[in-house]
Amino acid sequence: MRTASTNSAWKSAVFSHEGILFLVLVAEWVFFYHFGTTVNRHDVVVGFGTIDRQFDILRHSCEIGLLALALTPIILTAGIDLSVGSLLGLCAILFGMLWHDAGLSIPVAAAGALVVGALGGGLNALLITWLRLPPLIVTLGTYSLFRGLAEAITRGAVTYTDFPASFLFLGQERWYGLPTQAWIFLAVAALVGLLVHRTTYGRSFRAIGFSPEGARYAGLPVGRRLALVYLIAGVVSALAALIYTSRLGQAKADAGTGYELFAITAVVLGGTSIFGGVGSVTGTLLGVAAIAVLKNGLACLPVVMRMNGAEELSGMLTGALLLLALTGSVLPKYLSNWRASHHSARPQTPT
Amino acid sequence: MKYLPFRLLLALSLAFAALAPAVHAADQKLVVAMLPKAKGNAYFISCKAGAEKAAKELGVTLLFDGPTDSNAAKQNEIIENWITLGVDVIVAACENKEGISTALRKAQKQGIKVVTYDADALPDSRTFFVNQATPEGIGYSLMDEAARLTNSEGEFAIITASLTASNQREWMKYIQARLTEKYPKMKLVLTRPCDDLKDKAQSEATAMMSANPNLKLIMAICSPGVPGAAEAVKQAGKTGKVKVIGLGLPNENKRYVHEGVTDSVILWNTMDLGYLSTYAGVAVAKNELKPGAKSFKAGTLGTFEIQGDNILLGKPFIFNQGNIDQFDF
Repeated sequence: MRTASTNSAWKSAVFSHEGILFLVLVAEWVFFYHFGTTVNRHDVVVGFGTIDRQFDILRHSCEIGLLALALTPIILTAGIDLSVGSLLGLCAILFGMLWHDAGLSIPVAAAGALVVGALGGGLNALLITWLRLPPLIVTLGTYSLFRGLAEAITRGAVTYTDFPASFLFLGQERWYGLPTQAWIFLAVAALVGLLVHRTTYGRSFRAIGFSPEGARYAGLPVGRRLALVYLIAGVVSALAALIYTSRLGQAKADAGTGYELFAITAVVLGGTSIFGGVGSVTGTLLGVAAIAVLKNGLACLPVVMRMNGAEELSGMLTGALLLLALTGSVLPKYLSNWRASHHSARPQTPT
Repeated sequence: MKYLPFRLLLALSLAFAALAPAVHAADQKLVVAMLPKAKGNAYFISCKAGAEKAAKELGVTLLFDGPTDSNAAKQNEIIENWITLGVDVIVAACENKEGISTALRKAQKQGIKVVTYDADALPDSRTFFVNQATPEGIGYSLMDEAARLTNSEGEFAIITASLTASNQREWMKYIQARLTEKYPKMKLVLTRPCDDLKDKAQSEATAMMSANPNLKLIMAICSPGVPGAAEAVKQAGKTGKVKVIGLGLPNENKRYVHEGVTDSVILWNTMDLGYLSTYAGVAVAKNELKPGAKSFKAGTLGTFEIQGDNILLGKPFIFNQGNIDQFDF
């Protein structure tokens, strides 16, 4: 039997979850580049293989990407936050109110939205760490609470629009080549990456995910660490709310509906274990990209366009991809177990 | 065995990479992209049926896509997708006026023409709005239909959604105007709100009938009001004696129409709306229909009036026993 040897350092990198996901992403991209790029009646190249489309993919990924980044440390601690999408909606509404109704300037209103995000995340943190309630239940509650508040404040009818061009620049224009919000997304990715992989905080998240009791006995401030990850998620949700509002040029109570599930999907697809302890920010970024490319690529395929079913199909395929990734990640273990039992059934012959 | 997935992926990638950037020549036909508020909504499905008929007659490709629920953010994403696909014209029913206008303006910047229907965007983000019904058209049609059913004489009452809603007040204004102008022998005895609730409409209608024994007709100008009033009339055993008409959707009134309780339901013909919108979109894309035009001819439906930048679908459509089963929304 071949064992792990010196010639396969790069092979083990390829066979890591991230490596396989990267290959899937490349395959997706090449597939859509080939089949999703067309020439229209005016001999202009359109579809997936255009720079504009690539930037659109990046643009559309930023909000869900930010939420996925916020969820990565949380899921590493074996927690969950279902309220991020609702908090996005609440922050968007309050940002609109502070600017439009209270007459504050955009930067002040944005700061206000970030404070609201921190308060929302803080509420989750408080309930989870002080009262030791399960994160699933707490955030299921705040999921309804935040969305309900947003709807109550606006009575489901008010929409804030007519934001100044300087604010819309954030979501609709480019800055140094990339969509403006992509810079924020990349910066947050770098920060979360550093936090998770380059600091003792990151190690403590994993330790808590593996065993909160063990972490406590090891002297880790489990409560404070947990509070931190939920607080970060709140602030990042507010950031995503500002980007969302700027991209669409409107703030409405339904902003970000269902985003929490897309974000969790991306994190899990990226190889972070829902049971905590294992995972990486790189994986999350790849997960976000794999879903975004799939969704946008499908919409460019002529056959899908004719069926007018891009949304449904991308939902189906994202689900399939996730299940496949999960199956793929447990398959080697089953395979080696099977092999072990298969081999041990026969007498070992020396060679 | 272990390396199979990797090799497969590599082989696949290489195969596609070798072919790329192969570019397929797409449809040489003009592409019309139609956006409903929600693509599963029966109202828009019947718009689509009309649009498909028009697309076939015009020899253009019709894309019909929208959110599965009414979601402004998804509408924008679909439009951005159409922009990179380089469609020729976008025909949109807008969930949120301001939100969608950003995306539509971006489309216009890329040379894509925009026409709106059913629910308008901001005027600077589209060339024309296909207006399915003016308040004047609705008010006059309701009053004319009421007069026809009562031989232009006797008492009638109105159920509104609320006394303050702007569209309801607008319709009331034209109903009143038509009444004073053309039907002197008719008398509006009572106007009551039902808060857009069927139950409330039913109790209001019951109260109306007992307070006004000579009442000949109830007109409901909000959609829950029509079946509500019909149920009241039916339960009072006054079917045929007190007529019911109103503004509403065919499906929720079919039963009462077939039972003879409700005589007519007034709305617009959604298939015609889809048909006209598609014709208008194609004409704008081909530069045959330009701002400032006074009228527009749309295939077999004939010529439509244009007021400013609104193409008027014209008179509302009357659903009755003879035709209501052809519509499913």
